[in-house]
Amino acid sequence: MKKQLALLIILGALSNAGGFNPSMQSYINGLKIEAKKSNSNFTDFSAQRGEQIFTSKHIGKRGKEISCTSCHGSNLTLPSKNAFTNKTIDPLSPKVNSQRLTDVLEVQKWLKRNFNDVYKREGTAQEKGDVLYYIKSK
Amino acid sequence: MKKVLLVLPFLLIGAVVAMADHDDHGHDGSKKLSGVAVANNAVYQKECGSCHFAYQPGLLPKRSWAKMMNTLDDHFGDDASLDPKTTNYLKNYLVNNSSDNSLEYKRSKKITASIASNQIPLRITKTPYFMHKHNDIPKKMITQKEVGNIGNCIACHTTAEKGIYSERDIKIPNYGGWDD
Repeated sequence: MKKQLALLIILGALSNAGGFNPSMQSYINGLKIEAKKSNSNFTDFSAQRGEQIFTSKHIGKRGKEISCTSCHGSNLTLPSKNAFTNKTIDPLSPKVNSQRLTDVLEVQKWLKRNFNDVYKREGTAQEKGDVLYYIKSK
Repeated sequence: MKKVLLVLPFLLIGAVVAMADHDDHGHDGSKKLSGVAVANNAVYQKECGSCHFAYQPGLLPKRSWAKMMNTLDDHFGDDASLDPKTTNYLKNYLVNNSSDNSLEYKRSKKITASIASNQIPLRITKTPYFMHKHNDIPKKMITQKEVGNIGNCIACHTTAEKGIYSERDIKIPNYGGWDD
């Protein structure tokens, strides 16, 4: 079991989806260990599954149909508008916004809030990792 | 007669200055300031200003801010929760600079005075002073996409970030100035 986890971490570091900084990578490695615990078939996060999580619509916390794209838009390299306050949101894509996916506490804060707003529950470790891979790929 | 004519322009200028929305001294000698105090706290700007205009703490009384900061997990329908340390830090900032702690500012004083003592409004837009000041605005000016909602101060109040909400600084998108 320990060996498997070690292998998973090494594989994770090698296959590192386009380069997270060390603190983000260690956060993602932790999510992988957690994801593996609840799903024995888990091998790695998937940007494709993340896209589904990000773009699908759900009845959110306000009782209205909503998706992540309601506020972040569907092109993550462009600024978007908060659907409720009209405030501009800087692009999520790390390719155009170098601040994105660099601060673990920020990432954790927003994942918690936004899963609650769209899914009315917190995301699982696998879902969080999938979404992060999706954003990273955009 | 000549003397009076010479003095007249200065009297007029004096009257205009007194009518304008400038810093002034009250009858009791205390300093009176226009607008509300600027929200110059970097943590507040970052944490609260990322989703909406960073409303100045002097726009609500301390009891409102205290209640709001205790219910961030359901913040007008959204999860705006923060870690306990940041929550507490911002609660102190908001309470310390609340409207009832900033009575030297004209708007803070008026907002504070307008709220019944048994009321704890969470929306600035539901305080009687705010409602009174905005009740003549046609809905279409607010619902248009450049504004969106009545809480989007900066859309029309061009100097909102400076804590100045005077009429002369209003510019409603697609409509222009506002004359009460």
